[in-house]
Amino acid sequence: MHQLPSRRRFLELSGFSSLSLLLGGCALSLVEGVVGKTFEPLNQSVETLLFNPQKLIPEFPESEIEPEALIVNTYRFTPVIDPLTFRLIIDGEVDNPLSLSLAEIQQLPHHTMTIRHVCVEGWAAIVQWGGVRMRDLVSLAQPKSDVRYAYFESADGYYESWDLASAVHPQTLLANQKNGEALPIENGAPLRLASPIKLGYKQSKWVTRITLVNQLRRSQGYWEDQGYEWYAGL
Amino acid sequence: MTDNDLGQRRLSEAQRQGRSPLIPQQSIAAKIFHWLNIISLLLMITSGLQIYNANPVFGGRNGIPFPPIFLLGGWLAGGRHWHFAAMWLFALNLLWYGVYILMTRRWRHRFVSGKDIKALQRTQNQKRRNYAWHRITYTAIIPILLLAIFTGMGMYKPAQFHSIVDCFGSWQALRIVHFATVPLVVIYAAIHSWLSLKVGGSRLVESMFW
Repeated sequence: MHQLPSRRRFLELSGFSSLSLLLGGCALSLVEGVVGKTFEPLNQSVETLLFNPQKLIPEFPESEIEPEALIVNTYRFTPVIDPLTFRLIIDGEVDNPLSLSLAEIQQLPHHTMTIRHVCVEGWAAIVQWGGVRMRDLVSLAQPKSDVRYAYFESADGYYESWDLASAVHPQTLLANQKNGEALPIENGAPLRLASPIKLGYKQSKWVTRITLVNQLRRSQGYWEDQGYEWYAGL
Repeated sequence: MTDNDLGQRRLSEAQRQGRSPLIPQQSIAAKIFHWLNIISLLLMITSGLQIYNANPVFGGRNGIPFPPIFLLGGWLAGGRHWHFAAMWLFALNLLWYGVYILMTRRWRHRFVSGKDIKALQRTQNQKRRNYAWHRITYTAIIPILLLAIFTGMGMYKPAQFHSIVDCFGSWQALRIVHFATVPLVVIYAAIHSWLSLKVGGSRLVESMFW
């Protein structure tokens, strides 16, 4: 019999919670933001804990490439870039700011990888990307010791920010090739990010500027500023 | 006072009052698990369907989306926030339930056993048969819930848990299996409720909640 009061209390509590679920319908969009803000730090620390910046993600044989599966998601428009006058700027908290032409970038070691590209929408595609490692570009720019983030600006106005550890992972490329051929314009030519460790929306196309910084700004990325999670690690 | 003493006292009280002595009793731990499981599954399914709608498993962009009444989160990012928050409630609830049935040794008599299978093969006693079917259904839900977590981990962290994706063959196969746990859970809930009513009537059903 001594259990009765606690059971009644439990009944009341569960009644309240189901009532609030029903009434909450209109306030859910507010709640959704609160839920995101409450749990994102926890999920992000678990992701960071799982992530090993030195560990290579297993790659696929070329026979498994799915050329049709990679869907083009464009956010505003497809910019027109003249490859002859194109310059990639690397600046911010660095000792050696750079302004590189495509010819200069092509002199850096070339890497290819066949990886799974995973979109936030739930689909995935096995793609082969070729290009230069972000870590090579970052080390050329000689970042100061307190640099922790990289901002990427695109020719169409898209912007993203990454944690530095993910940006200099050996499989984070600034790609100029897709599936063994020159990168098509709709996939981000002349240069786009490609990586097996981040969701697709982190992988900016038409990258024109990389800024290395020691803290995140208020705007963290085009989609993040609208509510997407920032870390977005796979 | 132990649970057993309490049961005896209630039983004799019931006999004095001329009521049926068989009042189903559930431990408070089982009730809390049951409640949290229902709430977390509702959150997981509705937010999961919100994510599903961004690119339906069957048919992609041209696939048939679920109507808003079944969705939670308002849009893709909101659905993901809910899904990745409720997964902690869902998975940790299942974990502590596992620890609980191990610690209290309930695993030895709670779930389906050879006796139930034999009963289904031999007895014509309909009550015993219903009871056996009921034990089979609520035992079967445990691997389905674990499968939802397992496939979910593969989709959430395919770079870190690539072997999970590999063991389903392809990304699409993994998505199908993860999604299939939704109709399985819904069908299970219907059969489970119906069999509970057949086995123990509304008193058994209520004993699981209050």
